Amino acid sequence: MKDIVVLVKASLNPEIVRQAAEGKFDVDYTPLKISDIDRNALEEASRLKAVLGGKVYAISVLSWGPVKARDKDVRLAVQEALAKVADEAYLVEDDEILPTDQVVVANAIAALVKAKGLRPAIVLAGEASVDESTSQVPARVAAKLGYSFVGHVNKILEVKEGRVVVERDVEEYYEVLEVSLPAVISVTQSINEPRPPTLIQIRMASKKPLHGLSAKELGVSKPRRSIVEMKVVTTTRKQVVIEEANVERAVEKLLELLEKEGVLK
Amino acid sequence: MKSVLVVSQAPEDVGELLNAARPFGEPAILAFQHSAERAEEVAEYGHIVYRLRSDRPEALLAAAKKLYEELRPQLILGPSTKNSRDGLALLAGLYDLPLASEVTQLEDAGDYVVYSRGFMSERVIMKAKVPKPAVMLLKQKAFAPSEKGGKGEIVELGAESSVRLLERRPKEFSGIRIEDAQVVVGVGRGFRSKEDLKLAFELARALGGQVGATRPIATDLKWLPEDVWIGISGKRIAPKLYIAVGVSGAPQHMAGVSDAKVIVAINKDKSAPIFKYADYGIVGDLYKVLPALIARLKK
Ligand SMILES: Cc1cc2nc3c(=O)[nH]c(=O)nc-3n(C[C@H](O)[C@H](O)[C@H](O)COP(=O)(O)OP(=O)(O)OC[C@H]3O[C@@H](n4cnc5c(N)ncnc54)[C@H](O)[C@@H]3O)c2cc1C
Ligand SMILES: Nc1ncnc2c1ncn2[C@@H]1O[C@H](COP(=O)(O)O)[C@@H](O)[C@H]1O
Repeated sequence: MKDIVVLVKASLNPEIVRQAAEGKFDVDYTPLKISDIDRNALEEASRLKAVLGGKVYAISVLSWGPVKARDKDVRLAVQEALAKVADEAYLVEDDEILPTDQVVVANAIAALVKAKGLRPAIVLAGEASVDESTSQVPARVAAKLGYSFVGHVNKILEVKEGRVVVERDVEEYYEVLEVSLPAVISVTQSINEPRPPTLIQIRMASKKPLHGLSAKELGVSKPRRSIVEMKVVTTTRKQVVIEEANVERAVEKLLELLEKEGVLK
Repeated sequence: MKSVLVVSQAPEDVGELLNAARPFGEPAILAFQHSAERAEEVAEYGHIVYRLRSDRPEALLAAAKKLYEELRPQLILGPSTKNSRDGLALLAGLYDLPLASEVTQLEDAGDYVVYSRGFMSERVIMKAKVPKPAVMLLKQKAFAPSEKGGKGEIVELGAESSVRLLERRPKEFSGIRIEDAQVVVGVGRGFRSKEDLKLAFELARALGGQVGATRPIATDLKWLPEDVWIGISGKRIAPKLYIAVGVSGAPQHMAGVSDAKVIVAINKDKSAPIFKYADYGIVGDLYKVLPALIARLKK
């Protein structure tokens, strides 16, 4: 038991929120990108791989469809995992389950781990995805597989005989815990500073196995969540930009504007 | 039979949770992380209280599982804190229950629950429908609190946890309530050292305001305590004036200041996203702009 599984989500990119008519969120035209904190999970996987010496598997379930339009984005996220650390990757893509929900995603991941006979010591994930940010998929996967679970880990201190010692970041305190393996660990953005994959790593990635799977093969059913509506919250700002080589003049201009707004006491 | 299992973590959350629970039927309360005295306070809302003598998510899972089997509630309500999320996401995983966190609106639709929540760093509101039973974790202060009344019975629950707790270190907080300040100067990674933050403090003083920070300043660098961290996972503020200095303008940060009346950005990179989220911006080096601004304000 020295292998690692890393969960990687291609999330809708919150930096590029597209709007359709009547303030509707244009989900079809908002691109996907690898969820930020999953990069920290990948970085931690490469650190642990050096300690444990096992193989690393990446798993991703496409969450937003249709597959045809999203395939490129999700593959880019999986390729990053392969370049960075993974030896093999599994990608679940299926229009039958799109747009998906977290029950389906977690069930697909757990079913995949069982079906492929993966026996990881540690499953790494981000503490929250950047689109939905519900912090539930890692715990659900742990519950389904019967593994231990620790969320919001900002340090993995030690891995020894069937146990892992971690520091967990809760609102009011930090705590150091010893948890038995196998375990699902969700990590925070503070756990490390992710390094982008090197050019050589990127080139090697295309030679590594990437297995595509459907929901049917894994026996997962359709999502039960239905989205009623998605509305863009609009707060438009004035966006007045002062570009002025003379700093005193720039500051003078700013203060005049703020004076007019009545926000200086 | 109880229709709603309300998981309370603090006496401050229980009023809001009970109010949100009301349309769904009779609640039972699972008091998690409460001392005996605090459990007494929770019982003053007039419903049965199961007090769990633990503050671990694994113990919450075990207790919630036992009550779920016994009471068969149609809805499980809790706060969106990390311990509550972790414990109840495990429960949701075990029984394939739908779960949503940071919920701002909740409606009973017969066999379904209809809810709203922020999505995409709160730049989008998602309204969705899931079948009961479901787990809904509420956003703090999104629901009005209900009044106390009556005296509920208290039942003590034993705690089980398979995890060994080796150490716990409280975080240090400033005690400053930046959410009450009229002017906030937000500092980001554009500052090169902790010492340099004195420029921001000087500016805040000149404006009669407080200093807040982006996530990396508070959590990675630990230059400022976490109670001045602004954003989706930190504080939400609504000052008259927010001045972001050396802040790139990530959506997770800006979600915390969307209610500010006027937003000012000072950033040396003209293409930084912050300028799209600001009313006024100066493109320039903060090490030149701040001293000039402070000098001018002192005049
Ligand atoms: C799920 C999730 C939740 C998150 N929650 C939060 C949250 O609640 N709050 C939060 O803040 N972040 C949060 N983040 C992190 C967020 O995505 C950004 O990484 C973070 O806000 C960036 O902080 P920053 O602006 O200080 O640093 P950077 O992004 O590094 O920006 C620094 C800026 O300083 C400018 N600069 C550099 N030198 C100078 C100079 N001399 N003069 C002027 N400008 C200069 C640069 O041009 C740059 O724009 C979250 C992320 C995720 C994934
Ligand atoms: N569709 C998915 N495919 C693979 N991993 C996922 C998926 N959704 C969530 N995860 C993992 O679970 C973490 C938390 O996501 P969430 O529960 O959506 O906040 C993410 O950072 C990923 O590591």
